[in-house]
Amino acid sequence: MAPLRCFLQLLSALALTLGPAAGEMRRLLALEALEALGEAEELWGAGLPGDLPELEPECRRLLVAFAEHSAALTDCLGRRARPVRLCQACHLDYHRLLAQYGNIARAVGNSSESHNCAKSILTSDRLQIVVTLSEFFNETWEAANCANCLKNSSEGLSNSTVEFLDLFNKSLTCFEHNLQTTSLPPNNYTEVCRNCNETYRKLNDLYNNLQRMNRQGGEAGHSAHLCIDVEDAMNITRKLWSRTFNCSVPCSDTVPVIAVSSFILFLPIVFYLSSFLHSKQKKRILILPKRIQSNASLVNIQEKYS
Amino acid sequence: QLTPSSFLRIGQLSNVDLNEDIRELETELPRQHPNEIPHNEKLLSLKYESLDYDNSENQLFLEEERRINHAAFRTVEIKRWVICAMIGILTGLVACFIDIVVENLAGLKYRVVKGNIDKFTEKGGLSFSLLLWATLNASVVMVGSVIVAFIEPVAAGSGIPQIKCYLNGVKIPHVVRLKTLVIKVCGVILSVVGGLAVGKEGPMIHSGAVIAAGISQGRSTSLKRDFKIFEYFRRDTEKRDFVSAGAAAGVSAAFGAPVGGVLFSLEEGASFWNQFLTWRIFFASMISTFTLNSVLSVYHGNAWDLSSPGLINFGRFDTEKMGYTIQEIPIFIFMGVVGGILGALFNALNYWLTMFRIRYIHRPCLQVVEAMLVAAVTATVGFVMIYCSRDCQPIQGSTVAYPLQLFCADGEYNSMATAFFNTPEKSVVNLFHDPPGSYNPMTLGMFTLMYFFLACWTYGLTVSAGVFIPSLLIGAAWGRLFGISLSYLTKGSIWADPGKYALMGAAAQLGGIVRMTLSLTVIMMEATGNVTYGFPIMLVLMTAKIVGDYFVEGLYDMHIQLQSVPFLHWEAPVTSHSLTAREVMSTPVTCLRRIERVGTVVDILSDTSSNHNGFPVVESNPDATQVAGLRGLILRSQLIVLLKHKVFVERANLSLVQRRLKLKDFRDAYPRFPPIQSIHVSQDERECMIDLSEFMNPSPYTVPQEASLPRVFKLFRALGLRHLVVVDNRNEVVGMVTRKDLARYRLGKEGLEELSLAQT
Repeated sequence: MAPLRCFLQLLSALALTLGPAAGEMRRLLALEALEALGEAEELWGAGLPGDLPELEPECRRLLVAFAEHSAALTDCLGRRARPVRLCQACHLDYHRLLAQYGNIARAVGNSSESHNCAKSILTSDRLQIVVTLSEFFNETWEAANCANCLKNSSEGLSNSTVEFLDLFNKSLTCFEHNLQTTSLPPNNYTEVCRNCNETYRKLNDLYNNLQRMNRQGGEAGHSAHLCIDVEDAMNITRKLWSRTFNCSVPCSDTVPVIAVSSFILFLPIVFYLSSFLHSKQKKRILILPKRIQSNASLVNIQEKYS
Repeated sequence: QLTPSSFLRIGQLSNVDLNEDIRELETELPRQHPNEIPHNEKLLSLKYESLDYDNSENQLFLEEERRINHAAFRTVEIKRWVICAMIGILTGLVACFIDIVVENLAGLKYRVVKGNIDKFTEKGGLSFSLLLWATLNASVVMVGSVIVAFIEPVAAGSGIPQIKCYLNGVKIPHVVRLKTLVIKVCGVILSVVGGLAVGKEGPMIHSGAVIAAGISQGRSTSLKRDFKIFEYFRRDTEKRDFVSAGAAAGVSAAFGAPVGGVLFSLEEGASFWNQFLTWRIFFASMISTFTLNSVLSVYHGNAWDLSSPGLINFGRFDTEKMGYTIQEIPIFIFMGVVGGILGALFNALNYWLTMFRIRYIHRPCLQVVEAMLVAAVTATVGFVMIYCSRDCQPIQGSTVAYPLQLFCADGEYNSMATAFFNTPEKSVVNLFHDPPGSYNPMTLGMFTLMYFFLACWTYGLTVSAGVFIPSLLIGAAWGRLFGISLSYLTKGSIWADPGKYALMGAAAQLGGIVRMTLSLTVIMMEATGNVTYGFPIMLVLMTAKIVGDYFVEGLYDMHIQLQSVPFLHWEAPVTSHSLTAREVMSTPVTCLRRIERVGTVVDILSDTSSNHNGFPVVESNPDATQVAGLRGLILRSQLIVLLKHKVFVERANLSLVQRRLKLKDFRDAYPRFPPIQSIHVSQDERECMIDLSEFMNPSPYTVPQEASLPRVFKLFRALGLRHLVVVDNRNEVVGMVTRKDLARYRLGKEGLEELSLAQT
């Protein structure tokens, strides 16, 4: 209801500023309309005068608001691209944009049913830039799977995400702390590995847990992903841990593996050799068919053989 | 009393007393010195008999036809459709069952092994994981192999050769029994779960065929239940039609390819075909894939989505990304050549292996041990490959079912593990659809090499398992490798998407191994859901077949030959026109007189050295001037029913109340007629007479002695005959041509060859 009330207030404000022009819009000629709109444009002080001959002022306002929100969201997305903090930082912007788009889609101009804002903004040209923009944002949001780490009512981060990010920050601090204290050459990270192992394990386990819960709860498809913030945070930590610090060194026990595997691979050879040597070869008993032994047929066959 | 019957021997007439000359039709055991030879491919086994596709138009049949009115024939037609629908539904359900059980059991196994590997990667002691994996595989396969080897050996392998033989008219013992179906289904589940290099698609075809044979008869002899329905269909001709529908339904369920299923039945199976049958078979196929679809959609939680049409789903191939241009056609053809060569190599290796198995590994215990060893080695090879691989890829979501980290950095998985540590179906789909760069060329190369030998080694084990998926997997691996190297050569052009080449490689490899053409093209087309791939797939399969045929036969034909099955191909060998029926036929023939002494009949039937099934009936009392002309043909099964019901001339005169024998009595005994030993005939009854004229087929097909082999062959093959009587110009029986007489001529490498008969 709130947006509608807002809209009504807007309408009354518009009526005040434009005076009689607004009421008589329908009957005005194109030239007069241009003038009236020119006035309106100047009032908001944006764009070229006479750019949009038929757009009603209230629609204009909605459009500008949409433009501002999308600019804000783009700005936010761009700034938070690396390291990825999209969902945490931009979810407010995104929801504002979504609301604004909803306003446009639902807005009805005061003049007539056929000339409402939704129609003139969204579908009156080939490009449909507002729709494209909003689709782009929606797709980005979907791809990032941000809904996964936000609360259901889309207000703020979910508890598990907050917990994860806390732990993530903790491990980063731990890394930093230990790196500062060690005055050893930079390729020796044993200190970090030892001291931060617990935090890292916890973080890793929590991540795996989240993933498992997500896989069970969600249906098939891309919702198998966690939200991009969490995924990226984990990726960074894992890379630091196993690539930069080289902390996870698996025990490679090549000798027993080779021994066991060569033993197993050796078995078939034994089997086939022993069955070749010891098993009695299956013999077939030939049966002579009862036929006329004409020479012609024998000759025939033998000819073909030779 | 005893009248001489005349036989023609080497061009001269000799009168032979029938009572003394109770001889076989085709064979005589050379008792003096049995000729033993090792098994080879140039043999025909005596164990296989023909099916009776020729309708015996005797008096009883005519009576029944008179009795059944027009409306009743219409219900018969409706019943056929009902049976086809039921075949489709049941085949679909069986496919669902296999799919779901395999998915869960394999999932369980891989989770256990993965947990174990993850645990031991940190602590050390990976050799235990290897042992665990190998033991799990071996024990699961052991169960699967034991049930096949000890309970129903005919359930081994993919079952496609057996069904092909059945539809050709060869009676393979036990092939369409309920027990076989149960063993087959359990066996295939166990062998896939056991991690062998096998697929569950081939056995689906056999399962469909068994279901069809079972339903159409309206009873199960194994369970001793007779539902008293569909009695009209209790004969070989009707059963054959339903079996081909079942095979089609099986293909359709396995690949989600209903049209491919129909064409498979047409190409591989049905030696006999008509257009009404086609439409019914198509109906069964559609029902089958629809059933599978709906049940699986409910199982996966999105009811009525209907987007998983087959057991293996190749996934969607986007036309934009995976399109092809005219320049790529020569490349595809080259891939076809490679596929043909590799397929021929596969078949040749498998040939030697199978020969060795038939000669030396014929005891069931040894077969089980062999299967277990293969399972353990498969696991070991997989483990070693994964262990040695340093190809790590970042985990993206949950595209990989069981990501094994092993020695990779955290957050990455071993790329070799996606290929080896998974069921083969999933690996195929991964190879088709994983984005470029998911696999190292080295990984793919090693995988192809290893899997090629593993699959070759596995096919022919005593487990029920198919060769479709392993072939696709080998092909997809080298195809992808090919695609990657192509994009290296062309400096990373976008058109060289490796997924597309993986598909073509898979088609080429499968075509090179099984040598199917039309049906395989359509199956691949339907499984990818992309009609535009039809043309390149066709070219690839064509080339693969031409190249492969240059070296060796297709895998299925090869196995049919190694089993010494008297299989009749479409045509007689081309250079056989100089052979005549006289040289082909077996002679002398055991004939029965129209009114024969019961004792004589019993003696002929119970002669162990002869297992003839058809006996020409000659005129009973020829005078000296009259010749013993051919009057009809009677089958062993009919004689046994007659003896069982004691339809003797004397008894008919004695008791008028005795029920007349009807066609139903013959049908009830079908298909397992009791052996002659179980029928008791007293000494008094032996002296009775039996009148065959009412029961024999009064107009058997005959050929003159001078007919050429191709002519005889054509008649025999086209009509699906079991016995073809050779007569002289006085209508006297001279000889008999049966399936084995015709199947023994074969076009070999050096020209016309003659196979020998052998007891197996």
